[in-house]
Amino acid sequence: MKPKSLLSRKVQLAFGSAILTLLVVGAVSYRGMVVSSESDRWVRHTHEVLEKLLDLLSAMQSIDSSYRGFVLTGKESYLESYRASILSAEQDEATVRNLTVDNPIQQRQLPALERLAVQKIQYAETVISLRRTKGLEAAVDAIRSGPGQQIIDEFQGVVREMQDEELRLLVLRNADAKRHLGQTKAVLILGTVLGLLIAAGAGWGVQRDSSGRGLAEEALRDSEEKYRMLLDEVQDYAIFMLDPRGRIVSWNAGAERIKGYKAEEIIGHNFSCFFPPEDIKRGKPEKVLRMTAASGRHEEQDMCVRKDGSRFLASVTFTALRDPAGSLRGFSEISRDLSESEESGAKYRGLLEAAPDAMVVVNQGGKIVLLNVQAEKQFGYRRDELVGQKVKNIIPEGFAERLIADGTRTAAEALAQQIGTGIELTGRRKNGSDFPIEIMLSPRESAEGILVTAAIRDITERKKSEEHLMKTVGELKRSNDELQQFAYVASHDLQEPLRMVASYTQLLAQRYKGRLDSDADEFIAYAVDGSNRMQGLIQDLLAYSRAGINGKVLREISSENALKEALTNLRATIEESGAVVTHDSLPAITTDHTQLAQVFQNLVGNAIKYRSAEVPHVHVSATKNGGNEWIFSVRDNGLGIDPQYFERIFILFQRLHGPKEFKGTGIGLAICKKMLERLGGRIWVESQPEKGSTFYFVLPERDGK
Amino acid sequence: MMESMASVAVPIEVLLVEDSPGDVRLTREAFKDAKVHINLHVASDGTEAMAFLGREGKHANVPRPDLILLDLNLPKKDGREVLEEIKESPTLKSIPVVILTTSASEMDILRSYRLHANCYITKPVDLNGFLKVVKSIDSFWLSVVKLPREPRS
Repeated sequence: MKPKSLLSRKVQLAFGSAILTLLVVGAVSYRGMVVSSESDRWVRHTHEVLEKLLDLLSAMQSIDSSYRGFVLTGKESYLESYRASILSAEQDEATVRNLTVDNPIQQRQLPALERLAVQKIQYAETVISLRRTKGLEAAVDAIRSGPGQQIIDEFQGVVREMQDEELRLLVLRNADAKRHLGQTKAVLILGTVLGLLIAAGAGWGVQRDSSGRGLAEEALRDSEEKYRMLLDEVQDYAIFMLDPRGRIVSWNAGAERIKGYKAEEIIGHNFSCFFPPEDIKRGKPEKVLRMTAASGRHEEQDMCVRKDGSRFLASVTFTALRDPAGSLRGFSEISRDLSESEESGAKYRGLLEAAPDAMVVVNQGGKIVLLNVQAEKQFGYRRDELVGQKVKNIIPEGFAERLIADGTRTAAEALAQQIGTGIELTGRRKNGSDFPIEIMLSPRESAEGILVTAAIRDITERKKSEEHLMKTVGELKRSNDELQQFAYVASHDLQEPLRMVASYTQLLAQRYKGRLDSDADEFIAYAVDGSNRMQGLIQDLLAYSRAGINGKVLREISSENALKEALTNLRATIEESGAVVTHDSLPAITTDHTQLAQVFQNLVGNAIKYRSAEVPHVHVSATKNGGNEWIFSVRDNGLGIDPQYFERIFILFQRLHGPKEFKGTGIGLAICKKMLERLGGRIWVESQPEKGSTFYFVLPERDGK
Repeated sequence: MMESMASVAVPIEVLLVEDSPGDVRLTREAFKDAKVHINLHVASDGTEAMAFLGREGKHANVPRPDLILLDLNLPKKDGREVLEEIKESPTLKSIPVVILTTSASEMDILRSYRLHANCYITKPVDLNGFLKVVKSIDSFWLSVVKLPREPRS
């Protein structure tokens, strides 16, 4: 192995010689350039003097022609141009004087020029005043006889001499410049050849020690490799370089993962393939590069396209790379897939996909960042058609407005308004059809600003069944109202003719009993009985149809007082039958007092009415069940009921006994059932024939009491 | 006693406003046993009742009633309107009006008293009840109560 110092000494020597040569070449070239530019200056100077001389001559000719013009026409406008020409002649003369100040030959000619010019002007003035005082004829004569033309000819002669002098100088100066150029060329060629020789020598010297060079290169490669590995390690960011025209020149692992291209597939291609087609059409890739080049750095959040055509929202930073001299060498691009950042990582995606509803994640700008398969299905789009689109496209109203803080709302207010459950809006499918949706919004702050996750549920079916339910409920209510009305009107209107029948058969019975034959008496008795029974039925029907209509004001009442009221109404019955009615302590309950008293009255009344041979014993009690209901019971020692009739006894006009055994229409229990059901309760019976019955009824406990 | 003896001499004019002939007949039957002599006039609907009270047309010579028995559910002009018109009329409002109707509706009862009905009776559905009610009207309104005597024009 050769000592390193020897190599560097050779290299130093080679560099030293090369630099020396360059200095010499540089100095000679500089000198050549200075001289050459001096010569150039003189050549330019000569052209300038020639030009000005011509200007001067034409100014003089213009003086001549304009004063003649005045003389011939008498028009003042000629005098204006005459005076302007004098001015420019004076200026041109002064310029020529300045330009030729270094040349004594030319300076010597100047007094002659000046003298001739003054003569010409003096003569012109004379003729002008002649024209004004003596008229055209005198002036024309003066021109003809005067020395005007002669002066101009002399003037031209002097100018020509000066021009000749300048042209002579021009030839001399051109030759001078050519000579200097030749010298410079020679030096440059010589210097270049020398430089090449030295470079070749140094190259040969360096080549001789390839192992040394290998070391240096290895060190460089090593450092480059480390740097590349560092970049490659980065998985979360796509990091790559572009040349000034936007072609990709490097590619890291993150880029491969995020964008889906392998390095060998993408290097050399233009980076515009990462943009959606519509952006390319608008010339966005070029615009991004221009903006980056202008400002040095450009950041944005927008949609990017993967190799498979799918889209994702990315945060992208472009940086312009410049060499020390400031010329653009390319760009670096660092981008990150926002849809996979933190909360929207793989887990979050999994969660979204598992959700039974359509899920859409929207950023503050109202663009869709992420969505699940249900969202694709519900709205009829492919995922990549929706990502990056405005959420307004699928939910035209009521959603995007909640996202954006504007002049009237601060971001905090906008955020507060986003929180919501069960907001009913309208969704729009790809095919343009609308459908009702319910959305739940859950906003959260993230590194990319506020992201809102919306769970969207298609509620078409629910709406349909709601509508159906509402319709059915409406129909049911109408039918109930009609029925109620019918029952009331029917019983009321039936009652009138029936009253006539009953009254007159009774009148007949009272006035003619025993005055007709015995058959007549019997027939009349049946008619009276029938009409009386009919009246009873109608009255009960009326009572039943009215039950629960009035007095639905629920307040806390004492159920014990309700029972006492019922017992007061039943006093006659109780006394007559010798019944013993007992009760436990009964609770305070929120319900309707009148109806509860009616229920007690009917139940206790029945208990006494359908008694066995024994003295009737009736006991009323109440217990609270596991839920929040009170269970009341009315127990008797009466006839009891066959279990097969447990349901039937609560039906209107259903009786277990004929009118001869027990009077009644079969309304009492039906009314109890109706009233209790209207109060939110229910009623049933437990019984065995000949062992007595227990009627239970339940009322809900309200207001937590 | 002297008072009631004196009233026997002068017949009492009663206007029954009732559309059911059966009820009219029953009312007549009931009044048959009345202690006082009653002239029962009948109007079968509200319009006729107002014509009677205003002595219009064929009613030009009818007497002013001392008591009106008024049914509520009537053809043409309703009993409620008749009641309102009577009680708004300065000349008629002093005549006691007894509402005698099949309606037991709380609304009808309240409304009638608000319109200054003098009493409200629901017709009992059985014959004896009805007869008893009419008799009690007779004994209370036509015997016990002092009715206003306005100069007959």
